[in-house]
Amino acid sequence: MEKHKIFTREGNGIPQSWNPIFGMGIQGSELNPTTSDQLPNSFFKPNCESSVDQRDLFESALSSIVSSPVNSHPGIPIPGADSIVLRELIGRLGSICNSNEISPPSRINSANNSCYNTPLNSPPKLNLSNTTDHQIQGNYPIPGNHQLPPAPFPADPGFVERAAARFSIFGAKNESFKTGGSQFIRIPEENKKLMTELGDSIEEPSVSETGAGIKGQSNGRKRKGIPNTTRGKGKETQSSTTTISAKDDKAVTEVEKEKSEAKRSKSNEKSTEPPKDYIHVRARRGQATDSHSLAERVRREKISERMKFLQDLVPGCNKVTGKAVMLDEIINYVQSLQRQVEFLSMKLATVNPRMDVSMEALLSKDMFRPLVSLPNSVNPFDASVQPFPYGYQSQTNGMISDGPENQFSMNSLMTTMQHNSVMKPSHIDGFGEASTFWENDLQSIVKMAIGQDQPQGIHGQMKVEL
Amino acid sequence: MSPSQQPTSLNNPAYLKNQFAHRFIRALNNLHHTKTPPHHNYKMYNRSTRVKIAANTAMASVVGSRRAWSRAVLWKIRKLRSRKRVNCHHQEKVSLKRRNPKPKTEDFNNPFGDSSQESKLRELVPGGETLDAVCLMGETANYIKCLVAQVEVMKTLVDLYNPT
Repeated sequence: MEKHKIFTREGNGIPQSWNPIFGMGIQGSELNPTTSDQLPNSFFKPNCESSVDQRDLFESALSSIVSSPVNSHPGIPIPGADSIVLRELIGRLGSICNSNEISPPSRINSANNSCYNTPLNSPPKLNLSNTTDHQIQGNYPIPGNHQLPPAPFPADPGFVERAAARFSIFGAKNESFKTGGSQFIRIPEENKKLMTELGDSIEEPSVSETGAGIKGQSNGRKRKGIPNTTRGKGKETQSSTTTISAKDDKAVTEVEKEKSEAKRSKSNEKSTEPPKDYIHVRARRGQATDSHSLAERVRREKISERMKFLQDLVPGCNKVTGKAVMLDEIINYVQSLQRQVEFLSMKLATVNPRMDVSMEALLSKDMFRPLVSLPNSVNPFDASVQPFPYGYQSQTNGMISDGPENQFSMNSLMTTMQHNSVMKPSHIDGFGEASTFWENDLQSIVKMAIGQDQPQGIHGQMKVEL
Repeated sequence: MSPSQQPTSLNNPAYLKNQFAHRFIRALNNLHHTKTPPHHNYKMYNRSTRVKIAANTAMASVVGSRRAWSRAVLWKIRKLRSRKRVNCHHQEKVSLKRRNPKPKTEDFNNPFGDSSQESKLRELVPGGETLDAVCLMGETANYIKCLVAQVEVMKTLVDLYNPT
């Protein structure tokens, strides 16, 4: 279903209204079953047109649910109560905005999508329906009527506990995070790739993003590795555990256990970092579980990741190993680039009379830019910058000597290109087309340039300077 | 900061160069059309300095507010301009609020082998003083990428103007 796709693709397309609801501290494990029965039937508005009213109703109802059990919150969730309450809740979630006959998963998705589509600004999003969607695909019948569906979830306690854990995720907002024996490191996420590896890319960003809503908490919360299992041997559904609360300790350990030990290896630690999000990191097996060391390790991994990326950027750093040397190279490179800018600006400043050249002429020359940049990389539209070895290496020879060579090659290139006169009036931003169009001509042009450059014999390579 | 998160248009270095070229050329034309150089600041009077500032500003404006370094560059330029108008001859060091706290115990947490390298990097990358180590690396990567594009464009321009 399209809505389903939209929902899963975005992952975070859940309307923001979910957040206050669950941010109010829904703890599925603690919901009082009796209060849940008292949910007003006005919940069920078949049409989602009055989305705002629905939202308010929902919020108020849920807040009533939430607030009551919060006070009488036991330390340990009751599985029995969990399942009932969860079923009802999920049923209600699904039944809200049921308008047409849609398949169950998309129904749930549409419940979230259509009712709460008004864009709201706060970042964290609820992926509850995502998670539940995963769980109850194929299990949820279409509630044709507008009554509370019987919520025929599998009576699997593991599922219930998982759902409870996920509910508890969003319930952690107002809770303190000091837990007895379990802590999490809250680290900004880095790679979504890591999440997908662990099998649940959809859940991860939004789940962890809800943690972002709990940013008020200090960063010192960490979760130590818990080798022993408490309960819930479900499959690994959630790759990133989210925030925890004191009361949801068990539930969250629940979530932890769900990551099957088989799938979760020593490299369970995540260093993913979508901006402004926090994820929890587990201590690796056999490593220090000290909070400081955990944080430090994550930080170090992030930095090393960035260093690898920088290594691609800075030319000639592939052989270099070690951070110190790498950093020196980076610093030198940045300094050389800045010096180049200064030098070129000096040159441009002295070119006085030419400054009156019309913009059109200059813009027409700009068409050549992608062409010029092509030979230096396989894919000019790659994410990383094209390797710039020639100019950099020539830096060692000195800027002055570099200048005339560059000009020579550039001018020869330009003249040859002008001779070819394949001036395609492509759109300024249509470089994709332009480059592919020029690519065939590029080879011939470059060869000519190289031929003219031979007497210079710089590096014996394609010195198509830019 | 990771490449996967950048907008696709900025991932394209050709796009970067093109945008930068446009703005830079416009700025250059403006520069050279103003016959009377400003006398507010001796440093600013130098034409090459002005060209350099124009180039950096153009590059930073292409990147916009997405990057800390571009924000820092634009902010400094704005401060410079406002001070010029006020006719102030003193150039105070721009002090930016710390965005992310530096690690308290440098030795313990310093992933860099040498802290002087880190400080050097902070000096080089505009706006790097307020960044923590992780963000600093990301900013450096982006800064290098944009610098490369800038240098390429400027070289092309120089060759355009001096076809010798």
